[in-house]
Amino acid sequence: MSKRYKSKKILAAGRYRILAAILLLLAGGLVLLPKFSENEGISPELFVKNALSTERYISTDQLADKLINEDPTVLLIDTRPEEEYAAYTLPDAVNVPLKEFFNENLNAYLDQDVYDVILFSNDNFYANEAWMLGNRLGYTNLYVLKGGLNEWFGTIINPEYPDETMPREAFELYSFRKAAGMYFGVGIVQNSAQEKPKQKKKVVTVPKKKKRAPEGGC
Amino acid sequence: MGPLLPNELIAIEWNYVIAILIGIAFGYIMEASGFSSSRKLVGVFYGYDFAVLKVFFTAAVVSVIGLYYMDYLNWVDITQLFVQPTYLSAAIIGGMIMGVGFLTGGFCPGTSLCAVAIGKIDGMLFTVGLMIGIFVFSELFAVFEPMFERSNLGHITMVDTLGISPYWIIFGFTIIAVVVFALSDIIREKVKKVFY
Repeated sequence: MSKRYKSKKILAAGRYRILAAILLLLAGGLVLLPKFSENEGISPELFVKNALSTERYISTDQLADKLINEDPTVLLIDTRPEEEYAAYTLPDAVNVPLKEFFNENLNAYLDQDVYDVILFSNDNFYANEAWMLGNRLGYTNLYVLKGGLNEWFGTIINPEYPDETMPREAFELYSFRKAAGMYFGVGIVQNSAQEKPKQKKKVVTVPKKKKRAPEGGC
Repeated sequence: MGPLLPNELIAIEWNYVIAILIGIAFGYIMEASGFSSSRKLVGVFYGYDFAVLKVFFTAAVVSVIGLYYMDYLNWVDITQLFVQPTYLSAAIIGGMIMGVGFLTGGFCPGTSLCAVAIGKIDGMLFTVGLMIGIFVFSELFAVFEPMFERSNLGHITMVDTLGISPYWIIFGFTIIAVVVFALSDIIREKVKKVFY
């Protein structure tokens, strides 16, 4: 009887050892698990919801209105590469190329809640990508210029004259755009002032005096 | 994904139902482990029975390992779990009082209710004492409150204080648990057997 009890005890002890070993293995496994950095920012569900929403878009007309009225809350961010930024950009825009988006020095422009940051690029693709990155990181007040600079040129700088059958609003919008274009058009001239082609010297042609045909002497 | 209730995977109305079910399961396990016997409970202090230490320590280690695996698999967001605020000096003083009560009464609050459930008279008396203690403390809370607030360290964990990865802390604790279990077995062998 006592022998059986003893063997049972040994069995039980062995079982406890196995359980303890499993516990240690599992705890050790936690240490050895390959670590991955978890994504910061908003949840994926909210992100998808935000991405599908068109609330982030601001039209070129709205932007022109804000710029002309010198709205102090607007911060323009050009997401195109540096060369393109150097060639042309909107007034007072800051260049944060998409590749530099995670640059800590430039982050201060994006991760803040003071300005309404308006992202733009040639179309809205780069700007949208930048917006998505920013939104995922939980940045607030990010907007995208709908259509980007192409739309800007098509509507503000060089607006299309409306058809005669169009409603009055279309003409009002046209005149607003035309006026805005004049406002910003000045900017273009200033920007490209350095690369101005040499103006041809005005040649003042002095009409040569025709030799008078000899007239009859007096 | 989880925790289930804060993320509304389970409607918030189920909160109390789930709490009651978990409470019943907890009580059942405690009773099944023999924790409704005050002789078994105080065995830890006299060295003839370490079941309390083993059960609670194992429960803590198993749940923390499980939780961190679930966190790793994104089933539970560990940062969303509630961490009790730490009242350092209050916890030390309270712990000492609780220890004395545990040793003299033979129960801790949960197990005393377990004992009441199976009709133990000492458990009932202990529970009455417990209620008186709660009443006195609640009435005198205004007196204790300054000491309480002074020692409030907020919702801190060892991960924040020590700055060590939680996985290493868990691993360390598991080793400590296994070593303590082995040591407690050695102590139990040496101590005179008590039959209860």
